[in-house]
Amino acid sequence: MRRLRAFATALLAAAAALPASAVAATDAGSGLSATVDRAQISTQLGRGFAFHSTITNAGPQTARGLVAHLSVLSVREEPYVDPEDWSPQRVVFLDPIPAGGSRSLRWQMTAVNAGTFGVYVTVLRKDAGEAPTPNTPTIDLRVTERRVLNSGGILPLALAIPALLGALTIALRLRRRA
Amino acid sequence: MSAGGARERGAQAGWVVVLERELRDLWVGGRGLVLCFAFSVLVSAIAYLAATNEALNFLEQREALNLVVQVGMIVGALLALLAAADAISGERERGTLESLLVTPVSRRQLAGAKLLAALSLWLAAYAILVPYGWFLARSVGSVGTALVASFVIGTLLATVFASLGLLVSLFASSNRVSLSVALLALFALFAPTQLPGGARQGWFADVLLHVNPATAAERFVNRVLISGSSWSEEIGWLVSPLLAAALLGAAALLLASRMRLGGGGAG
Repeated sequence: MRRLRAFATALLAAAAALPASAVAATDAGSGLSATVDRAQISTQLGRGFAFHSTITNAGPQTARGLVAHLSVLSVREEPYVDPEDWSPQRVVFLDPIPAGGSRSLRWQMTAVNAGTFGVYVTVLRKDAGEAPTPNTPTIDLRVTERRVLNSGGILPLALAIPALLGALTIALRLRRRA
Repeated sequence: MSAGGARERGAQAGWVVVLERELRDLWVGGRGLVLCFAFSVLVSAIAYLAATNEALNFLEQREALNLVVQVGMIVGALLALLAAADAISGERERGTLESLLVTPVSRRQLAGAKLLAALSLWLAAYAILVPYGWFLARSVGSVGTALVASFVIGTLLATVFASLGLLVSLFASSNRVSLSVALLALFALFAPTQLPGGARQGWFADVLLHVNPATAAERFVNRVLISGSSWSEEIGWLVSPLLAAALLGAAALLLASRMRLGGGGAG
């Protein structure tokens, strides 16, 4: 029993360590599957990052009218996520994918909030009534804050210019009095 | 040399003399420097607050740049308006307009020289704005765009409001009336920029935003600095500031010939 539990634990740990592409979401009905090349992304606020998703057609027929959509959501109550800020292009209309073929997409994003987020790609059909379509596994995105005491050193500039103009004004007044 | 040529040269010298006197009054007299000092304190405070976020954010940096540039342009235009609104009614109130009107300088040239002197305040404000704009724009790679856009749009806005101030000043019987009317016009034109996004939708709102030079200028700078649009894409927003600057500037110069000692129009 103890050996069985150890085996199960090891199996679960191995599954957790697998890259996301190895746990692709497949829809048995349509033969379509969608994968991503990253299971987790760690980055800093304001940084850009990218990942690839691959949509594979394992079915017997060419898959037509597919639309890939990038989604990002916060897995905590805060912060609020506006996906438009994260990526300029979140929808891709795919060319037909022949039977046995695949299509790879590169998604460029910018981390605009700090926190823990889920990122995934949904594949939809233009005609909603047709066979169901898959999502990719969710990428675990961790964005850490980048704290700065003085953003780029604007303080010297913000003090120097008024000080200079103030000194000029006082000098001019003193000269006029003299 | 023909008499006409000599008269033209004399007339040209007349407005140059008035402009020199106005610039000396404004800058050597110290009023311009005090206004510029106040302007720099305001821009410094806004730039510092906008730039020193705890969390550095690419989007917010563009917005910080946009905020500082817009405040700089609006306050720069306000300075030009204040100087222009005081230009004639101030002379009238201080009792110095009569001596100006008897000089051999036409009223139109007098008004033109005062308009240029008022615009010198905007140029000084822009010179102060440049280091802040450069500082905030360099991290988002849009120094050239920010500086050129703020100069072009700020100059158009300053011309619009200085011409408006001068127009009011030509006919106002007192400085108080002139400044009140000119400031009211400025706030009325800028008020729609504070409307929430939902209130700016629909064809009617779109027409109003395009027709009002203040909202059109604000929208142009927003699109160019925050959205990264090209000038050619947003050129439609420049039409009303350009037209307003040309029309109000021409109106101020043309109507200057109706300037009277006691205020009010010709009659």
